[in-house]
Amino acid sequence: MALPLAKQFALMVPELFLLGMICAILVIDVFLKNSQRNVTYWLSQFSLLITGILVLTMNPGERITGFDGAFVSDPFSVLLKLFVVGITIAVFVYSRPYMRDRELFRGEYFVLGLAGVLGMMVLISAHSLLTIYLGLELMSLALYAMVAFQRDSGRASEAAMKYFVLGALASGLLLYGMSILYGLTGSLDITRIAINLAHSPHPEVAVGLAVVFIVSGVAFKLGAVPFHMWIPDVYEGAPTSVTLYMGSVTKIAAFAMVIRLLAEALPSAHIHWGGMLELLIVLSLAVGNVIAIAQTSIKRMLAYSTISHVGFVFMGVFAGTDAGYAAATYYVLVYALMSAGAFGMIALLSRKGFEAENIEDFKGLNQRSPWLAFMMLLIMFSMAGIPPTVGFYAKLVVLQAVVQVDQPWLALYAVIMSVIGAFYYLRVVKFMYFDKVEEVVPVRLKLDAGILMSFNGLALLALGMFPSVLMVYCTAAAGGL
Amino acid sequence: MIPLSHYLIVAAILFSIAVAGIFINRKNLIVLLMCIELMLLAVNLNFIAFSWYLHDLAGQVFVFFILTVAAAEAAIGLAILVVLFRNRRSINVIDLDDMKG
Amino acid sequence: MSYLQFVFYFFSALTILSALGMITVKNPVHAVLFLVFAFFNSAALWITLRAEFLGIVLVLVYVGAVMVLFLFVVMMLDINIAKLREGFVRFLPLGVIVALAMVVELGLILGAKYFQLAGHPQNQSMLPNTEALGNVLYTQYVYPFEIAAVVLLVAIIAAIALTLRRRPDSKYTKPEQQIAIERNQRVRIVKMSAEGKSK
Repeated sequence: MALPLAKQFALMVPELFLLGMICAILVIDVFLKNSQRNVTYWLSQFSLLITGILVLTMNPGERITGFDGAFVSDPFSVLLKLFVVGITIAVFVYSRPYMRDRELFRGEYFVLGLAGVLGMMVLISAHSLLTIYLGLELMSLALYAMVAFQRDSGRASEAAMKYFVLGALASGLLLYGMSILYGLTGSLDITRIAINLAHSPHPEVAVGLAVVFIVSGVAFKLGAVPFHMWIPDVYEGAPTSVTLYMGSVTKIAAFAMVIRLLAEALPSAHIHWGGMLELLIVLSLAVGNVIAIAQTSIKRMLAYSTISHVGFVFMGVFAGTDAGYAAATYYVLVYALMSAGAFGMIALLSRKGFEAENIEDFKGLNQRSPWLAFMMLLIMFSMAGIPPTVGFYAKLVVLQAVVQVDQPWLALYAVIMSVIGAFYYLRVVKFMYFDKVEEVVPVRLKLDAGILMSFNGLALLALGMFPSVLMVYCTAAAGGL
Repeated sequence: MIPLSHYLIVAAILFSIAVAGIFINRKNLIVLLMCIELMLLAVNLNFIAFSWYLHDLAGQVFVFFILTVAAAEAAIGLAILVVLFRNRRSINVIDLDDMKG
Repeated sequence: MSYLQFVFYFFSALTILSALGMITVKNPVHAVLFLVFAFFNSAALWITLRAEFLGIVLVLVYVGAVMVLFLFVVMMLDINIAKLREGFVRFLPLGVIVALAMVVELGLILGAKYFQLAGHPQNQSMLPNTEALGNVLYTQYVYPFEIAAVVLLVAIIAAIALTLRRRPDSKYTKPEQQIAIERNQRVRIVKMSAEGKSK
């Protein structure tokens, strides 16, 4: 247990490097003129790239905890961190032209974005209630500020306020649950909590009380019904570049929090949280898929689609088996890829003074840019779960996990709901391919964004053809929990 | 001596008052922010009470960090409030009806 | 009733009353002051639990900095109180019901036998509370401590990025120009012939 301090710090070299770069970028940015802001951008991308490489090379390949159990490095954390870092690079690439056009291209934006990534990495590697809370807050605080970053936009600041109040409320609920859990078990360490709960007698109601508050807090953060009210408003009000960031990578980190809290700390309380999750799943799938049909704004539509995808992720967790956790991990990683692509497309199609935020704005995209339309087609197919894209496979493994624990009705219900949901994804495809526009405005696309978007879209197709490439790692990650 | 449950019940009452405050003051953002502070106060009391009765310092350390983070959170919350007020000249939620929730 | 019990009930009652006052008063400034009062009383409660350091920090940092920030913002923003009260009466019954239900439920669970641990006489470590915290904060909890530092850094950056604005129309002077001024830029000696002595 007691590793030498140097070894403990060696575990978190990627985080330390990122923190150092954040400070460096903060200082360097002060001395840059507005026209040299690209330097900040490239420095941020460089730090993310090196952080990713460090995560890969410093990977211990087994489960090691450090700092008195506050930090854990396991296959699960390595996998999730790699995706967080990689997708953040894509997010920054997609949002660069968008931010440039709206005078959002400022140094603080990247510093906050990187600090958010640091918070996510802390959260993913958290192994005590204390570090879970701190990582979550580091991520959330950066996000609140990023949503409000467009200072002269009333809509953005309103969205930020809503997000802030509900986010802080969620933290309060989560903390109350944590305090009860601490009182019951006398420890903040995840492993010790799990052992204590499994071996000492505790009154059912007290454990249930802690679980109620923790699950509500987590559901708020992830946006599962009935704690979803903020998602559509915040997604719509925030600048698209921020929606892109919070819609993709933060879900991975929030999912890690769910796994650490429910699967690792409270496996013996599965009867309590299983029932709650079931309710959340049923409601999320219904609300997410049905209300999305009525939306005209594509950002709102994707927000509701997020809610339904969160339902699917929870289904994997609900199963409570290793296969279920692996499926949920697979689902959330694939979802982050899809949503980065979808929101990235909105950001790329927006121009100065024009937001491509209505579904109508996708009309005739095939005439304007057949390649981008094809990528959007892949993303939409994947979100709807249509083979041969990976979205189909992701839904399949989750459903399998649920059927394995004898819940065929839940699986059937999920299938019906996703068939309903497929409608609105296909509507976007119809707009792109079958509706013609009068004047064809060509899409101006930067080379880097184009390449990355192609990679993003084709990855969904390739993973769909060879799903086991990623599944192997997810299974290993869930097995190492 | 005072039993632990007395402290827990005081904390529970504070927590419930905070939740009720959020319900009845949803028009007033400043009081909303203060209700969140009250909520954290209740949580802190829980942690400190448990820490004392369990003879474990971890609870107090947790409170130390909650205080730190809550201060940071208040700073950002108020900054957002100021930005919002500059844009809207109001912190009344009813005026903020650009978006339908 | 022992002295400790008296202290406990006295300060709990005051904390709860001031919390109730905070959510019901009209004026936001009064609400802030009620919250400050609640913080003072809970600091006293914490001290009955031998958390002296945290009790003092609550007063110094929380009341001294955070609540003053609140007061500052309340007074800076020109708030229409009457408008803020809209809907208060409408949501009041709902709020009261929710709160009562929560109190009863939580009370039933937390008041149960399981949580009736008796208070122990001082047999924690004999170290003063501040020293005990200091001992673990930089050793056992060094990792969370560093994260907390980053959280504060992010808060600074965010607050400045959101609210600092340089107004092009604001009239400020540049000190370096003020210092580098020459006498003849400020005073102009005009030679003119004396008047009034004309006949």
